[in-house]
Order: sequence, then C-alpha cells, then structure tokens
Amino acid sequence: MGAGDRAGVMTRRVAVTGLGVVSPIGIGVAAFTGGLRSGRSGAAPARSFDTTGFEHDIACEVPDFEEPAGVGRTSALAVAAARMAVEHAGAPDLRERRGLVAIGSTMGESRDIDTLVAQELADGPAGLDPAVVRRINAGRLSVSIAHELGLTDVEAVTIPTACAAGNYAIGYGYDVVRAGEAGFALCGGADALCRKTFAGFYRLGAMAPERCQPFDRGRRGMLTGEGAGVMLLEDLDSARERGAPILAEVLGYGLNCDAAHPVAPDAGSVARCMRLALKNAAVKPEEVGFISAHGTATKANDIAEARAVKEVFGEESPPRTVSMKSMLGHTLGAASALAAIGCVVALTEGFIPPTINHVETDPECGLDCVPNHAVPADLRVVQNNALAFGGNNAILLLGRYEAEAVAT
Amino acid sequence: MAKMRDIVCEILELDPDEVTDDSLFKEDHGADSMGTIEILALLEKEYGVVIDEAELIRMVNLSGVYAVVAEVAGWERATERAS
Amino acid sequence: MTTMISAWSAISPFGLDAVAFAEGVQGGRRPADCAVPGFDTREVLGRKGTRTMDRVTALAVATAKPLVEGLGDETALVLGTNVSSVKSSMDFARDTLTEEKPFYVDAGRFPNAVLNCAAAQCAIWHTLKGPNATVSGGRATGLLALNYARRLHRSGRATGAVLCGATEELTEERSWLELKDASSPLSEGCAMFLLERDGPGQAEVLAVEFGVCSDLTQAGGVLRRCVDRAFASSDAEPESLWLIVGSGGEGEDLDGIPAKRLCVTDLVGDTFAASSAFGIATVLALAEAERRDGTALVTAVDRDGVVGCALLRLTGEGTR
Repeated sequence: MGAGDRAGVMTRRVAVTGLGVVSPIGIGVAAFTGGLRSGRSGAAPARSFDTTGFEHDIACEVPDFEEPAGVGRTSALAVAAARMAVEHAGAPDLRERRGLVAIGSTMGESRDIDTLVAQELADGPAGLDPAVVRRINAGRLSVSIAHELGLTDVEAVTIPTACAAGNYAIGYGYDVVRAGEAGFALCGGADALCRKTFAGFYRLGAMAPERCQPFDRGRRGMLTGEGAGVMLLEDLDSARERGAPILAEVLGYGLNCDAAHPVAPDAGSVARCMRLALKNAAVKPEEVGFISAHGTATKANDIAEARAVKEVFGEESPPRTVSMKSMLGHTLGAASALAAIGCVVALTEGFIPPTINHVETDPECGLDCVPNHAVPADLRVVQNNALAFGGNNAILLLGRYEAEAVAT
Repeated sequence: MAKMRDIVCEILELDPDEVTDDSLFKEDHGADSMGTIEILALLEKEYGVVIDEAELIRMVNLSGVYAVVAEVAGWERATERAS
Repeated sequence: MTTMISAWSAISPFGLDAVAFAEGVQGGRRPADCAVPGFDTREVLGRKGTRTMDRVTALAVATAKPLVEGLGDETALVLGTNVSSVKSSMDFARDTLTEEKPFYVDAGRFPNAVLNCAAAQCAIWHTLKGPNATVSGGRATGLLALNYARRLHRSGRATGAVLCGATEELTEERSWLELKDASSPLSEGCAMFLLERDGPGQAEVLAVEFGVCSDLTQAGGVLRRCVDRAFASSDAEPESLWLIVGSGGEGEDLDGIPAKRLCVTDLVGDTFAASSAFGIATVLALAEAERRDGTALVTAVDRDGVVGCALLRLTGEGTR
C-alpha cells in the first residue's frame, strides 16, 4: 500500500462492484436498466426554471428528485448516487479502507450560482444568502460524499473536466485502485440543469427543439439534461474475498486533448484517444462489442465521432455505435458516468441499449446505431466515449468479468 | 452598417479597416462556425431580433449580415413605405 | 521512478514572473494590494484569442507560457481551480435574466462558465495534446493537482512532461462570495510546475497524502496522520524537515514538529484555489535562496474538509 514514489510496480485488476444512478429515465439501477432496455425518453418541458422567452423548452430533468433543504442540487445528486452505489455493492463498510472519491462535473453547483445572481439582482450583493454562498465550491461534490458516508481515510477530489468528466473520474479511480494506492474508489459524475446551461447551449445553436436524434439525418442537436452516476470500484482480490458482486472489470482508458477548438471536436484527435484507450486496455479493435458514443446529436459531434470510429475500427464493419443521450439527454458531467454504467448493465444483462428517435441514419455518419430497439448481445468488451468542450477526450474500456483476465 | 462592422470586428478581433463589405469572414478573416454564431448572437441582442440559424449561410460577409438583419428587422419594408 | 519538479512559474501579487514572486517571498512582506499588478489580459497575451478570455484563464495561460518552450506536443496539463471564474458564470447567468430575451447571451463566453475553461485554453494556446485535466478541492486544490500529475507519470499516461498548477482570480463577484470572516485579504494568481519523470530537478515529489475531516476541529489530527504517512511511505527522515508552508486553513499548526514555518496567506493573501500551489512555489523560491538539501512540507486544510500535504525533497539544483 506504499504511496511513495518508490512503490513497487505490481498492479491489481479493478472490479466494478456497485452502481448508483440518478437519471432522467430512472433512479436506481433497476429502473435505469428498464429504461435502457425499453428505450425510454427522459425528455419533457423543463420545470426547474422559467422558460418564458425561449422558443422551445424541452430538457431531460430528473423528475422525482428533490434535494434536501440546504444542499446544492449537484452535490445532492452525487451523494444520492454514491449511496446507491455502495448499497448496490452489498453495503461494505468503506470506513475501514483507504479510498478515493472522485466526482466529475461540467458546471458544478451551477443552479446555486443562478440563484445567487437572482438574489444579487433583487437586493444587491448584501442580499446573497450565505448558506447558498457557502456551498458553491466545486470540491464539495466529492467531499460531501465522504461526509455522508463517514469516510475520513480518503482523497476527495472533484474533476470538473466538463462533459468528459465522468470518464475522467472513473479512469482516475481505475489508476488509483490498480496501483494499490487505494482499496476502493467511488467515482462518477454529476450536474444539475439550470437556466444558464440551457441558455448557453440554446445560444450555441446546439440544441434540438423536441427530441435528441443522434446519427440521424434529421438531427437538430442535443437536449440538456441532469443527473448523477457513481460506480464503486474495488481491487478484484479484496472484492472477491468479501464475496462482492463483480459486475464488470475496468480494462483501461485513454486521455488526450485536441488543443484546437473550444467547442468543436477534432476527429483525428478523437481517433488517437481511442487508440490510446485500446492500447492501455490491451484490447484489439475487433474485440469491442459495441461503442457507447458521446453522440450529442449535434451536426459537428456526430460526424467527427463517426469519422474517428471508422478511422480506428475500419470503414467496413465498425462496431455498433449507440448514443444513450437519445434517451438521457446530455447530462453533462454525469453523461459519461451514466453511459459507463449503461455499459456495465449491457455487459451483465446481455443487451445493447438503443439509439431512440431514429428515423434515417445520416450517410455522413454511416454507423449502425441500434435504432429504436435494444438488441440482445453476448458482450465481452465495450467502449465508452466522452468528448468535452476544450477538446478534453476520455475513452473508457469495460469488460465482462471473467475469473481469468480478459486482457493481460 | 458601422455598428455592424464594429460587432463583426469585435468578434473576429480585427480593426475596422481590415473588413470590407465583401471580405469573407471565414476565408479572409479566419472565422470558424463558433465565430459566426457569436456574430449572430450579438446582432440579435443589439437589434432585438431573432435570426433563424438557416440564415447563417448568407451571413458570410458584412453585406450578407446587413441584408439578413435588415430583413429580420423589417428595415427594407419600412424604407419602401417611406419612399 | 521519481517525479521531479524541474521548473516553475508564478504570476502573483508580487508581479508577473517567478523572479518577482521569489523576491517577494524572501522579503516576507505581503503587498498592500493583492491584485496582480499590471496584469491586463490583452497587454500580456495580445489581442488575438483574448476577446472572451476571463481573468482566471488568462492568469493560467500566461503562467504556463515560460514553461512550455521546447516541450513536445504530448505535454500533459493538470490545472486546479475552484469554480473557474465565478464572475464569468454570474455574468452569463445575469444576461439570461436581464436581457430582453433569455438567450441574448454572448455565445463565445459560454465556455467560460464551464469549469475546465482555463485548462482547455492553456492547451489551445500552447498546443498541449497530452492528458488535460482540471481538479478542484478548495484550498487543497494545488496538492490534488500535484497528485493527479504525479499519477499521470506513474501510470504511464504521460510519457513526457506534465505541467501542473492552480489558478485563482480576484474579482468583485468573488469578493461577494467569500466568507465575511476571512482573515486575509483576498488575492489572486497562478503557480505552475513542470514535472518530469526521473532526471534532474530542483525538488523531488516524495509523497502526497490526503484525508477528510468530518469537522474542522478534527483537521489537525487528520493532517498529522497525512504527514506521518508521507514520511513513512518515503525514505525521508523526519529530522530532514526544513520548512513547512501552510495554506491558511484551520488546524494546519502541526505543533511540535521542529521546522521553519510560513503561511502562504501571510505572504500573498488568500489565493484560495491557488493557495497550496503557491505553497509549493514558496518552498522552491526559498530553497533557491537559502537551502540546498533536506525536505519541505506543504499543507492544506480546506473549509469543506479536504486535508492534505505534499512532501518534497530538495536536491540543491536550480531550476532550468
């Protein structure tokens, strides 16, 4: 367990043992699984802010989630998902073990910022509610989980790398558990929908008026969403020892940066990130059973992402590439965490979630996106893509758990 | 037109004399699609209008921008009636 | 393998470069005005690409500048921030409420309301195509960034250099949102370090340790355990400790440990998210002037409960 720089190089296999979900299509793994299998849509008129003046108001909020009084919504979403992940893993007592808590986010406690601005407009800076002021720091998304679960021997870090943040956080958990620096990691992502986020994507012309149609010829953009997804990762040996459910294995991941444009993805750079991830996970392209795409349904994203997939996997028969955002909307910092959880569900339940709202595949994308209906599939390895503002790419590979290592 | 030139110059980080009525934002001034959305956004705010994104294909230079804003704001019709 | 700090850079209330920071820290007196003097984004970075750039981002882009020369495209970056620019987020939100239509916002400024803005702009400006991460943890942010950076090397995700640091801005909006009982004047700046695997360098990162305290009365004990573990996990002797630099949080006293003490808020004011990064910079600045060996600790206790320390071994070499 030495954490010094002279620690040995022995590495551990990293197991996914618990999943926590608060999503627009269901709270808890069972409801989420049902939603993915049946192709449920989380889209509905936004209720969390006044939409007067916008020409369309469809978003993907979490309908049945009230944050407790005095808690920021993003932290509340993260804490709820973390608690569920621990329960799902058989409620191990994590206080006895050294751990990492890493939560990704795009906007942090952004709804609280909106609230403060409204207070400032009404009553000037003196009108700012100190209780709201006190909770806007991004670090709280992670440390709140530690407080909630009574964890003190943990490193609590928020990783706000925008819309790839969930994969970043899961990847970080993987590195830390794999190196033996921690026995467990609670990792994922969270974001809460708010007015300024809606206005921002609306203004960029990136938003669809009614529905999200990734890879479709008629796609008109994304829908903004919210939620949280948290995974419990443990080193495989200790997980087995305590008789934990082993849901899947994290095989590896890749990170890179386009370093080119604040909002437009770069296909070549995304392809490079996929290659990094495959190499890190020791997975051959032909072993990938399906790709969970970033798939925002903007013109630019879907074409660049499809191009990158074909560059790495070949023009002829690239893996089926689905976008769970068709159902969930773009839950920002939670997006790749929820999609990664969807990948674990796919591995354990044996189906590929659909891309809903699909009418006709855009020939410029030219991928089998599993239109509208989930398909049964015997999956061994799945890939989860995340591409963020600023060209922050993070691509994760997950594998079905087998007693013998899938990859060395 | 001078106001529009200022808006375009502000977004594209150019001096007013660098932009002519017909110089192209993308080809001549290196604008990307984000830049053109920014121009559209600032014009909407300045003139209190809403411009359909489909008009972006016409908003390739100052003349195009002027034509689109004039149409959306109803300036030409007003001018016609006055004459 | 070892993680070495081979160069560093700082833009601080003492001035626009590391030399100004080092002189200021050696002088030991906090400047009367805690805004970075003479830091105007367009003057420092030029007009191109700066229209929408906010201060927290500009400070980071400018601080990285002297470190990136000669580095490969695959350089990684780990940048710490609290909420990026709270001014940017509030301005954007305000426009949705005060303009004639809620979407009359400045499209180009939306990325500023996203928390990875500064790291992303650093990558774009300096062509850094390696892993690019943003981390946040209040006063401990700089230490969390250091650990993330160190792990990029250890996991092999970064094969070349890793830039690592933290940035904070001083704006009216931030002053509204700070606790009213703040004991130090609010301040700003950015400190960054160039980390390389093995090889020469001014300091070796021996250990970075963290805990969480359930309430701040427990902070001292949690910090003490972090420090003990830092020494235990490295082969450094506690007697080698020369300097402890605190970040201005509660319970950072570490009573009974013999070493020279400094607190970064006494030196440069409260740079919140950048405070422990400035703590590391303080160690490096003083080591150049006063010390050629031994170890130093940088500590942090954040008000939300993140507690941490970094143990550095000074090599006696100057920065590049």
